Amino acid sequence: MAKPSFLGLLLIAPALIMIGALFLYPLGFSLAAAFTEPGGGLSLTHFQKAYELYSTDILFTLFIVVVSTLLTGLFSIVIAGILTLSETPWLIATLRNLYRWPLFIPFIVAAQCMRTFLAKNGLMNNSFVALGLMEPIQTTSFLDWRGIIITFVWKQVPFVTLMLAGAMASIDRATIEAGRNLGASRLRVLVELVLPQVAQTLLVGLVLSFVTMLSVLSVPMMVAGSQPTMLTVDMAFRINSYGDYATANALGVISYFMAGTVAWIYLRHNVKREVQA
Amino acid sequence: MTVGQASHRHPVVIFSRNNRRVKRIREDIGVDDSVLAAIDVDHLQVSYGSQQVLHGVSLSVAPGEFIAILGSSGCGKTTLLRTIAGFQKASGGAIRLYGQDVVNMPPEKRGMAMMFQSYALWPHMTVLGNVGYGLRLRGVPKDEIRSRVAAVLKMLNLSGLEDRKVTNLSGGQRQRVALGRALAIEPKILLLDEPLSNLDAKVRIQLRSEIKSLQSRLGFTAIHVTHDREEAMTMADRIVVMDAGRIAQVGAPKEVYDRPNSPFVASFMGADNTIGLDVRPSGGGVEVSTDNGSTAFYGGEVPVGSLTAYFRDDVASLDDPNARVDGSIILPGKITQRTYPGGHYRYVVAIGDRHFTVTDDRYHDVDRPVGMRLPLASLHLFPQAQSTGGNHA
Repeated sequence: MAKPSFLGLLLIAPALIMIGALFLYPLGFSLAAAFTEPGGGLSLTHFQKAYELYSTDILFTLFIVVVSTLLTGLFSIVIAGILTLSETPWLIATLRNLYRWPLFIPFIVAAQCMRTFLAKNGLMNNSFVALGLMEPIQTTSFLDWRGIIITFVWKQVPFVTLMLAGAMASIDRATIEAGRNLGASRLRVLVELVLPQVAQTLLVGLVLSFVTMLSVLSVPMMVAGSQPTMLTVDMAFRINSYGDYATANALGVISYFMAGTVAWIYLRHNVKREVQA
Repeated sequence: MTVGQASHRHPVVIFSRNNRRVKRIREDIGVDDSVLAAIDVDHLQVSYGSQQVLHGVSLSVAPGEFIAILGSSGCGKTTLLRTIAGFQKASGGAIRLYGQDVVNMPPEKRGMAMMFQSYALWPHMTVLGNVGYGLRLRGVPKDEIRSRVAAVLKMLNLSGLEDRKVTNLSGGQRQRVALGRALAIEPKILLLDEPLSNLDAKVRIQLRSEIKSLQSRLGFTAIHVTHDREEAMTMADRIVVMDAGRIAQVGAPKEVYDRPNSPFVASFMGADNTIGLDVRPSGGGVEVSTDNGSTAFYGGEVPVGSLTAYFRDDVASLDDPNARVDGSIILPGKITQRTYPGGHYRYVVAIGDRHFTVTDDRYHDVDRPVGMRLPLASLHLFPQAQSTGGNHA
């Protein structure tokens, strides 16, 4: 085609305008605001302030998201592995029917459920006490960093498992059978033969989960609430209580940076694979 | 001790002679396998849900024997192989390997090796990783894995490819790597699930003879599932023809080819032309007649009554329509088509409203009246079925 079709441009124009107006402009604006002093010049003042006030929360956020991502990966591998390699039909059927439910529950509802489940006198502790596993005096509340991690993992495992189980189902079944035939146990088959074949999918799932968890406001706000907390809560606080967009934007840039790092790992891995192929 | 663990206690050379290896196996197992079959399948039943796939299959395979299981799609041949390997649960019957019942044993404990139609190589590993994996599972030290893999690769003409990714190999090389992976653990039993059917014709024939010669050199017992008749005939000591979840006939290739015991086997072995015959006792022999009036006298032994004759293209030949030849029946007809596939001509002959394919060395004109000559001794005769006749192929 010699020249770009005017009609084609016209067709994609609404989408382009939407992206520009609703995403690129605010993104650029907030980036610029993060690096601009009140007077108008470029500076890192807002980052300095953000660091002074929230350095613990930055580390806390990183810790929560990294641990949640690792645990999500672990549980997803276990569930997808059972779905792929188990020979117990009822176990597969039960897992298959149950594991997807959290996908359809919004974060805020999940957080609300966890509040009643993980509290000092919540459902979990009450059940343990009723079962005689624990004395009422020993019960502790999980509504702190552990609560956030539990909620995140509970919410993200189905998503990653969905992707992973799909990838495992599509690899050549004979590669699994060849391993077992030569004497590999199912665990070895999973770790040495199946996982390496679906590593790419696992990586995508975990990167997407990482970014999702980084941006959730409701869970840290409802489940933990107190100090330290996650950056999303701090940003909301800066804006709602002080109208301090500058510091909030600086915190936002720090979030972009974290998300950008995992995106970079993912892209680099992708490029490496394409070069090999 | 399971059958599979035996070999790694004695990591002896792969190149041991046939008899020495069999002797070693005997010592490992601690039994005299002149009595025990390598594989003894006893009234095996397998169902997928409510649908029964194998209806009590019994088969005994001697140590060092090469068996080919032949049958059309859906006859249960792959199911039988997968059940022996342990990937499919049996719903009844027994599978004994050197006398030990393995029907409830998981596949990884059975100590067999298998080759798959799709090669089933692990794409994330090198050739060394693939071939050496079985040895790694058996705790063989790294250096020894490398040297044993090198020996296996040399045997398969793949030397020097150790560090190549398997995704960078040709189809024939991949299936050789898969063969190497199976043989590296020195299995006593090798299962082959149509491993050659994805390869092109030339490589297939080459690998066919390689597998066969390795088998006679190393002495393993092999079960080969295939739908390729020629492949089964050339590789196997005995052929098992399966039909609808049952064994239709077992025997040496020549026996099954020359003396099929049922219309199914006859037709499966290539005799897919049929013709109705009426046989009556007459004098010292029988008088054979067809629907359209041709008759012949025959002194050989044949059943009497209404029969269906099954014959291959190359059994029939073309003759004069009015010729009379002892021991042969001649059916007058007309040539409707001639092709030259190479070496000989192939004719389609119309006899009445039916068409037969006939192979003949001589050139004949199309539309010429001709006699299709069938030597009675080469026909497979079975009591009349509701066969419609003509060419099934």
